Amino acid sequence: MAAVVKETRSDKIFIVCNYIYLLLAFVIVAYPLLYIISASISDPKLVNSGEMWLLPKGITFDGYLRVFENAKIWSGYKNTIIYTVIGTTVNLLVTLPAAYALSRKDFIGRGFFMAMFMFTMFFGGGLVPGYLLIKNLGLINSMWALILPGAASVWNIIVARTFFQSTIPKELQEAAHIDGCTNMRLFIKIVLPLSAPIIAVMALFYGVGHWNSYFGALIYLNEEAKYPLQMILRQILVLQEMSAETTGAAVNASVAAALNNKAEVASLVKYAVIIVSTLPVIAVYPFLQRYFVQGVMIGSVKG
Amino acid sequence: MQKLKKTWAMLLSMTMIFTLLAGCGSGSSDTPAAEGNKSGEETASNVNKEGFPIVKEPITLTMMGQDAGIQNWKDMEFFKKMEEMTGVKLEFRNAPIDSFDTKRNLVFASGDYPDVFFSGQLQASDEVNYGGQGVLLPLEDLIENYAPNLKKILDDNPDIRKSITTPDGHIYSLPNIDLDAGWYRGPMWYNGKFLKALGMDKVPSTTDELYTYLKRVKEEDPNGNGKQDEIPLTSVKLDDLRMWLLGSWGIYNEVIYSDKENKVHYTPMEPGYKEYLTFLNKLWSEGLLDKETFSQTDEQKKAKGKNNQVGLFADYHAYFTLGGEPNMTDPMYAPVNSNVPAVAAKHPGLAKGAFAITNKNQHPEATIRWVDYLYSEEGAELLSNGPEGILWKYVNKDDHTKEWLPVPGGGDREEYRATLTPDYATVVPKLSNDNVKRGFEGEFEAWLKKETAEKIAPISKVPFPSVYLSQEDQQEASSLRSDLDTYVKQMEAKFVTGQEPLSNWDKYIETCKKMGGERIVEIYQAAYDQWNSSK
Amino acid sequence: MQGNGQSALSMNVEPTTIIKKKSTWRKMLQNWELYLFIAPAFFYFLIFHYGPMYGIQIAFKNFIPAKGIMGSPWVGFDHFERFFNSYYFWDLLWNTLSISLYELAIGFPLPIILALAFNEVKDGFFKRTVQTVTYAPHFISVVVMAGIIITFLSPSSGIIIHILTFLGIDAPSFLTDPAWFKTMYVLSGVWQSTGWGTIIYLAALSGVDPQLHEAAVMDGASRWQRIWNINIPTIVPTITILLILNMGSILGVGFEKILLLQNPLNMEASDVISTFVYRSGLIDAQYSFSTAVGLFNSVVNAILLVTVNQIARRTSETSLW
Repeated sequence: MAAVVKETRSDKIFIVCNYIYLLLAFVIVAYPLLYIISASISDPKLVNSGEMWLLPKGITFDGYLRVFENAKIWSGYKNTIIYTVIGTTVNLLVTLPAAYALSRKDFIGRGFFMAMFMFTMFFGGGLVPGYLLIKNLGLINSMWALILPGAASVWNIIVARTFFQSTIPKELQEAAHIDGCTNMRLFIKIVLPLSAPIIAVMALFYGVGHWNSYFGALIYLNEEAKYPLQMILRQILVLQEMSAETTGAAVNASVAAALNNKAEVASLVKYAVIIVSTLPVIAVYPFLQRYFVQGVMIGSVKG
Repeated sequence: MQKLKKTWAMLLSMTMIFTLLAGCGSGSSDTPAAEGNKSGEETASNVNKEGFPIVKEPITLTMMGQDAGIQNWKDMEFFKKMEEMTGVKLEFRNAPIDSFDTKRNLVFASGDYPDVFFSGQLQASDEVNYGGQGVLLPLEDLIENYAPNLKKILDDNPDIRKSITTPDGHIYSLPNIDLDAGWYRGPMWYNGKFLKALGMDKVPSTTDELYTYLKRVKEEDPNGNGKQDEIPLTSVKLDDLRMWLLGSWGIYNEVIYSDKENKVHYTPMEPGYKEYLTFLNKLWSEGLLDKETFSQTDEQKKAKGKNNQVGLFADYHAYFTLGGEPNMTDPMYAPVNSNVPAVAAKHPGLAKGAFAITNKNQHPEATIRWVDYLYSEEGAELLSNGPEGILWKYVNKDDHTKEWLPVPGGGDREEYRATLTPDYATVVPKLSNDNVKRGFEGEFEAWLKKETAEKIAPISKVPFPSVYLSQEDQQEASSLRSDLDTYVKQMEAKFVTGQEPLSNWDKYIETCKKMGGERIVEIYQAAYDQWNSSK
Repeated sequence: MQGNGQSALSMNVEPTTIIKKKSTWRKMLQNWELYLFIAPAFFYFLIFHYGPMYGIQIAFKNFIPAKGIMGSPWVGFDHFERFFNSYYFWDLLWNTLSISLYELAIGFPLPIILALAFNEVKDGFFKRTVQTVTYAPHFISVVVMAGIIITFLSPSSGIIIHILTFLGIDAPSFLTDPAWFKTMYVLSGVWQSTGWGTIIYLAALSGVDPQLHEAAVMDGASRWQRIWNINIPTIVPTITILLILNMGSILGVGFEKILLLQNPLNMEASDVISTFVYRSGLIDAQYSFSTAVGLFNSVVNAILLVTVNQIARRTSETSLW
């Protein structure tokens, strides 16, 4: 808090209640997370039978060993990092200028552009024409097939626009114009530095989107060496769900044995896989948090 | 303002043009059927009719298949060996098993499909649709001229030929052929330890005896832990048990089956189905059927098995559920007789849609020769376990006796096998018979065969041949079934759990009829009659 | 869009149209860089969204892959009729709407409250830890999430059932009782996404002018009053916009999690439009049918969004256009 004054009685009560509330939220969320961590180093049989419910039981690190032995996971990691970094950069380059333009009340055509963008939130051509487009652009089996079709999201443009609208003072822009400052300079030198929180949010939203995406890869990539991490994880995890139907319904003994084998492996590694694949995105968050601190922005205007 | 309107108009027309262009683009690329394939002499002349290599000049084909996520296909010893032997180079465009259907549908729909589908899991409707549209090549002439192994199998097994021939008289895909498979859905198994603890030396043979067994499992603590934690009969949403239990009331399959008089039945409207519901309802209300039947996952069911709590269940092998190594102490369930003798479903000997050639393929003759090798015994051996000398070797090549070699680097044999060949967790085009398996089968497999021969084979028949429906029939059946299947499944669960009393059976039948249950029978009866009369 | 329409109207009335027109031009010229700013987004939407738009027509056609989209035969409203005449149409619509609204009612306010609460805590280890922990569940994949729900609620071994039994409460069968399905679905969703949902509000809260707080403190305002009178008004535009956007996806309940939690016993409460389409597609790939259903969803969503936006325009200063 910026203003440090002695707290009144009611404020103290408020603060205590607030802490209790947050603590409660913490416990509710932390329990299942702890469960996942414990499950990742427990014997899967004890997990599935409900005997393991808080602390690890029948400790085994086989799950992690399996994950780290899998060469595909590492190449998936590498690919995902590349796609995420490049993809997020493209997203920001498209989204921020557009959102800023749309936030300006004196931007003629604003309504048209908004309508044009928003229409696509609801109506789209679907999978087949989308695939044909990528094919005609010659992007099949290339990284750009994962990045360009998602270069911007209307939702994020609107959120960023709302931020610019409500936090960049209009007087600032008018003053800049009177000083003969061009829109380009205004945007780069004044607006962007003031918008650290929204840039952080956009980077996070887009970045996590890339990190978690697999559908583009599934459709547009042909080479396994280019698969992102999520695609590889799905191969490990989703098959297990299928096996409920298929170990019994397999066409022959060899397929049945393979499915059973995969299901056993999946049982063993699924919690380890979650931890290994999400740790980086979770670790990034505390670094972004500092941009959300109140007053960062206005403070810098004054200063 | 005028200007603005103009801008608007311009943008609109730009969009329109773009739209049209994109449309045209797809129009032309969608119809490669027009290009046709040049299966004329120029390509055929590059093909050797016998022996290896298959082609005089090396050729390259694009192939799409299901990736099990363990090894990239281009690094598999099977494909390396095949390329070396045949001179056919392959480029792969795979998709993971779990989403393969999405990708296959998309490449078909967008016209961007490969030369060959291998483990392509083509649906009957795909064959009818894309075959009829010229996207898939008819294979019967190619088989006749270039595929001696396959031709022999089809000649020896006319039912297989009948089953892979679509209503327009063409064969568009090749199956996985398994000539000695006993069943196509994992059977049910008794927990051998429970039988022993209860002093039972033979398995139940009537519904009453089965009921008594389950009752005893619940009450007499056969796992001996002093707690009543036994679950007499467990299941995951009944999908695993349904087919086997229905057999007790003379019903061969879950949805559609034909009886010995060539009459087609829709199971959920049969009187026998009501008996089945009544029986399960009784088990449910007395706590003999797992209370978690409708909510548990396969993983949870298996955890109960490994905990030694389960008395009767279904799986491909008993040890998948009960844990441990393959063993011969858990006997197979023999369908029990009710007031009628029990029946069972038999494996039709093939799984369709494993291999297809598209009209983009410039070398159909070479391609069919390539795949034909997999229908020979040596070819099937290569595909099953990779080239000789890595995981296995011949003991006697003449009678195909083989033996396992130690797994290179130790580790799990199945895992290692998955790095050698695509024949892992997917259905590939090949022949499977006694010779192909000889030497790999131990005591356990022999015991399985014996159990099948005693308990299932005598009462089993193929429940319904794999027939094709015409495009319109297929559409009608799909659209009827998307509601009907939902209704039937919901009602099954409600009848079993007693949420819906069985006295409402007539009302249920009424609703089924309203939703087109009888029409389904008509559609399948017609298709069956056609299959039956064709040669 | 609306803004232009209004200015056009007023222009026709006023006699000084020419002058206005000129000033419009001047404004456009003066701000030419803004067109440069929006150009990448404009071309992106034009190429990647409007380009494939012709695909919508397959909702009115019987799409035959080999004939292409343009060449497939028209069937009019057949697919829509099939959907509307489906035995389950009204159930599907009701389930979809009720799950969505339930989710909105519980899941929308919670992140706001949590963000306001975070904002009152000094930056430090406690805040960072709680914030990071509440954010983490967002990354658990649906498959695993469903597995955990089923494990926790399993009648024989689930921890939640054990706790309820310990407290002397007779636990209902959460997994199979249709009456519990929506609650189970919504609460697990809240658990998974509340922390993630706070991010946007935290960013918005960082825009609060600290001088306002200082002045309020001088005036003797309590914390509660300052939240109510300073923090909340600052984030109202963001709240409004997100609410409008959420209303625009009311029929868009995803299928994956529902499918994994669905069973024949809870089906009457759990079957939604997207799972219905998924099942129809399982039998064989029905592009035209699923496009038609998708189009129906879009039209309803678009109508809702426009309506809510109009209400927002009338009653507040914030709206999408």
